[in-house]
Amino acid sequence: MTNPQAVTQPARDQYARPLITALLGGCAVALLLGLYAKLHHPTRYALDIGGFSSPLYAKAWLTTIAAGFAVIQLGTGYRLTRRSAAPAWMATLHRWSGRIAVLLTVPVVIHCVYALGFGTYSVRVLAHSVLGCVFYGAFVAKMLSLMRRDTMPQWVMPVLGGVVFVSLIALWATSSLWLFATHGAHS
Amino acid sequence: MIRRGPLITLAAVVVLAGIFLWANTLVPKSEGSAEGTPSPSAAASAAAAASPAATTTVAHALFAGRGSGDQAVVVIEINGPKAAAEVTADRHLRVDLQGSVHGSQLTLTAPNGTGLTGTVSGPDVFGTITGFRGQSFPFSAETEAVRAVYAGRSSGNEVALAVNTDGGKATAYVCNGKTLEAWLQGSVRDNQVTLAGRNGASLTGTLSGLAMFGTVTPKAGVSFPFSAELAPRPAGVFQARLAVNRLATRIGWVVLPDGTQLGVAASGTTSGPAPALDLGDDSFALNGASFTAAPVDGNDTVVSP
Repeated sequence: MTNPQAVTQPARDQYARPLITALLGGCAVALLLGLYAKLHHPTRYALDIGGFSSPLYAKAWLTTIAAGFAVIQLGTGYRLTRRSAAPAWMATLHRWSGRIAVLLTVPVVIHCVYALGFGTYSVRVLAHSVLGCVFYGAFVAKMLSLMRRDTMPQWVMPVLGGVVFVSLIALWATSSLWLFATHGAHS
Repeated sequence: MIRRGPLITLAAVVVLAGIFLWANTLVPKSEGSAEGTPSPSAAASAAAAASPAATTTVAHALFAGRGSGDQAVVVIEINGPKAAAEVTADRHLRVDLQGSVHGSQLTLTAPNGTGLTGTVSGPDVFGTITGFRGQSFPFSAETEAVRAVYAGRSSGNEVALAVNTDGGKATAYVCNGKTLEAWLQGSVRDNQVTLAGRNGASLTGTLSGLAMFGTVTPKAGVSFPFSAELAPRPAGVFQARLAVNRLATRIGWVVLPDGTQLGVAASGTTSGPAPALDLGDDSFALNGASFTAAPVDGNDTVVSP
């Protein structure tokens, strides 16, 4: 008679190295992004996406839509932690809402980093610059640890997912929300 | 078991970022300021134009200096995104170079193979000359009687401003195109710009490469961070003084590098948006009559003592 627990337990203990690798990878990305943004000479102009009144509004709305998808990802993420209650499509929705959200932020971060650099002239701008590094670092760490999802402990995904979500919402608040509040929520 | 899904997502993000970053390197850098500038079709036309767009005329930035071992005299002239240089030795060997400016990086070449690369750092240029009489050597140059116009907006697009420098003197005008405005006057020392005006108005800035970064205070208690760029005409400050309904009226305009203009007309004690300025002949219409505005220089007096 075999003891099922004796079989699964050893596999769980091997998560340390992949997890540390994932976290260090995330830190490296965050650091590189911050350094590039700070050292690169800001051009004050970058390619923008037509259809909005200005590049600033294009970025603000893209970030707002991304934040909306992030909320969907958070909700499905919560349901997924209750594994028994989650239908199969919830995992798919979770993954795809996340993918869409992060892909929508790509033109925004390229514009921010290329045209504006790592700003420090006000608290809002400094927080935004730091959070931008944190968000992409956490995203990379989450992707790398997801590659070995089966060996990761239960707490890893909620924690990394939480950091990704909170940093994205804080990024939205320090940019889009500020813009809509000071200059109006129009296109 | 290693799952590939997350890796594919990561790869997709990196590839998309690479595409946007590459597309940005194709954009002509002479096209005005980033935040708040409406450019609906710029995306399509900017991606198609692989080389920097030629601009009309001149913001005169002139640098003169020598090679570090006195091998030659160097004069560099920057006009918008284009640059030209002369490297001269012994009075009879002169090489003319042509090239461009990207951000604060200069790259120029001559038909005979001589090359010049350098970085604009405030009032100085530091760089290297290669292939001159078979030699390569470092050089440094500093600004010569720089008459330049820096124009831009505050970071939240609250106001537009233009600063004129002429050697060590500078003037500026800042306004929001409605009722907030200030005329400023002061000095440029090394790469620090310090200007002051009435009602606690001030401007402090640092010249860095071809840009100016700083803080503008149009009136006491109201401050904004701003960035401005060395800009060719028509960018600059324009002024008109006339009598409207027998009230002394002063009108100021800021013209930005992309041709956008913001202006405020102060008539007696009331202020309002300025009439549109025709950038072709500097004329504007007020109450049915046509007048001419004058461009403002770094040397002018705009704040009466």
